[in-house]
Amino acid sequence: MPFESNDGARRSRNPDGRPHSPPLLFARPGQGREALPVEPPAGAPPAQAPVLWLDAEYGFTKAGSLPDLRVHLSVFERLRQVTAVRKGCIVLLLALIWQIYAALLDNGLMFPTFSSALLALYEAAAQGELLRAVGTSLRVLAAAYAAGVVAAGLLTVFALTTRLGCDFLETCTGMFNLLPAIALLPLALLWFGLGYPSIMFVIVHSVTWPMTLNIYSGFTGVSGTLRMVGKNYELSPPAFLFRILIPAALPQILTGLRVGWAFSWRTLIASELVFGVSSGSGGIGWFIYEKKNQLDIASVFAGLITIIIIGLLVENLLFNTLEAKTIRRWGMK
Amino acid sequence: MYESSPSDARPFLEVRNLTLQYKTAQYLVTATWNINFHADCFERLILLGPSGCGKSTILKAVGGYIKPAGGEIRLQGKLVTKPGADRGMVFQEFDQLLPWKTALENIVFAVTAAGRLPRRRAVAEAREWLHKVNLAAFANAYPHELSGGMKQRVAIARCLAIKSPVILMDEPFAALDALSRSSMQEELLRLWEESRRTLIFVTHSIEEALILGTRIILFSPHPGQVRAEFTPVRHNTGQGLGAKELRERIEQLLFQDRVDYAV
Repeated sequence: MPFESNDGARRSRNPDGRPHSPPLLFARPGQGREALPVEPPAGAPPAQAPVLWLDAEYGFTKAGSLPDLRVHLSVFERLRQVTAVRKGCIVLLLALIWQIYAALLDNGLMFPTFSSALLALYEAAAQGELLRAVGTSLRVLAAAYAAGVVAAGLLTVFALTTRLGCDFLETCTGMFNLLPAIALLPLALLWFGLGYPSIMFVIVHSVTWPMTLNIYSGFTGVSGTLRMVGKNYELSPPAFLFRILIPAALPQILTGLRVGWAFSWRTLIASELVFGVSSGSGGIGWFIYEKKNQLDIASVFAGLITIIIIGLLVENLLFNTLEAKTIRRWGMK
Repeated sequence: MYESSPSDARPFLEVRNLTLQYKTAQYLVTATWNINFHADCFERLILLGPSGCGKSTILKAVGGYIKPAGGEIRLQGKLVTKPGADRGMVFQEFDQLLPWKTALENIVFAVTAAGRLPRRRAVAEAREWLHKVNLAAFANAYPHELSGGMKQRVAIARCLAIKSPVILMDEPFAALDALSRSSMQEELLRLWEESRRTLIFVTHSIEEALILGTRIILFSPHPGQVRAEFTPVRHNTGQGLGAKELRERIEQLLFQDRVDYAV
């Protein structure tokens, strides 16, 4: 019997002739215990499970006779639970500090007060100048962003279907992700001239690479189990892509969209500041540049506030809502 | 020693000389070597073995997810080359449910995609299956709102709902606590009584094998090979092992293999 011959071989390997304690996969009671390296200390409870048990039962209080198990929080406490309220308070505090400091400084040219910035914001908005600038910026942004998303999608498909595409994508994202979009402005200026084509070019660059990186890692990160489930149902390749891969990769796809938005919004403002005007309609970056030249510093601040507000609106209304409706609801984040 | 199965025709599911390999960065590793076994129709076949014996890999090969390096797998005489809805699979992992679909929609998706039923009938069937696994109240819950046991019940319902003749289960209860595990085992037996299929069930628990199996194949590790096969006695001749002896026999075989490969 192989079992006995093995047993003999084990004994012969052991110098003091004591049998090895075999690593037990399925331990039988009492077996292997003699080979424990350390003897249990005296007075320790016995290793065997107790044979007899004592039984003690306690009475318990019924829920009805206890004080209220759920008590309403006060309005103040409930407000404190709302993140937006807490963050709003911080914004108000910062505005207050700004107002007080600027009032004490009393130098409207270098650092206007918060109230004068708000007033300038209101006036620029009322005159339509600011809205026009915002409209111009957002139109350019939307076109460039869409182009970047499409490019990222195509690159990802290329990378997922071929080995060459995969290597290409990893090399390119590795290199170009390090290149700030603004650094391409001089070249863009040379190739596309002064104006929006140049800005489009740098925005597409700023969106494409981080977005590709996210979407691609999202797809490759889809769990093997989910892939096998999809294969089990004999889904066609397009159905597999749209019904398994894309929803499963949605957390990273949304991150990619969000990162792409943040990059493109910053790049847009920065490049508009450098050369943001063509045929008399400039964007929000140009608005700021122009107001600085006119020494209308309150309007410069109004422009900055506008940039922040639009950024917050897109982040919270668009992306956070999208997330809440999808991946948060599905417990994927 | 064992009763031979009736040899009038080819077995329902046949695994012949199956060798499975996988590549690491440095090596080509042989996971299982020259595996032979078969499953008859309506059998509950258990693939039992310690971790590392490649039993899950064998199941995935039967599912068509892994290409054999040698040998072949035939279902009703037809060569298995790719995954298919005729071999429904239940995995160990809780993430096998699509997290973006509710419990009901997970089953509906399976039934419309693999069972190819129109949606209206699929919804009705899915409700019926949820009812059968006692989850009717959780039809609209998303997977992340369900406990581990509930998720596995949805996965089993989803697998049974596509009406595949063969059900492959890869340690579906291994990640559950002991109480849910034993109630799930009972439930699986009940479901199997209600809608009979050929079940191939992978486990490393002797307990589970004895509760669920009508036949047990025991594997040894490194590389995985068939070590023993335990078949029920059909005609009482006074020979054969009782449940206790069978358990001891399996323990002895596993224990012996473990010693053989211990360093």
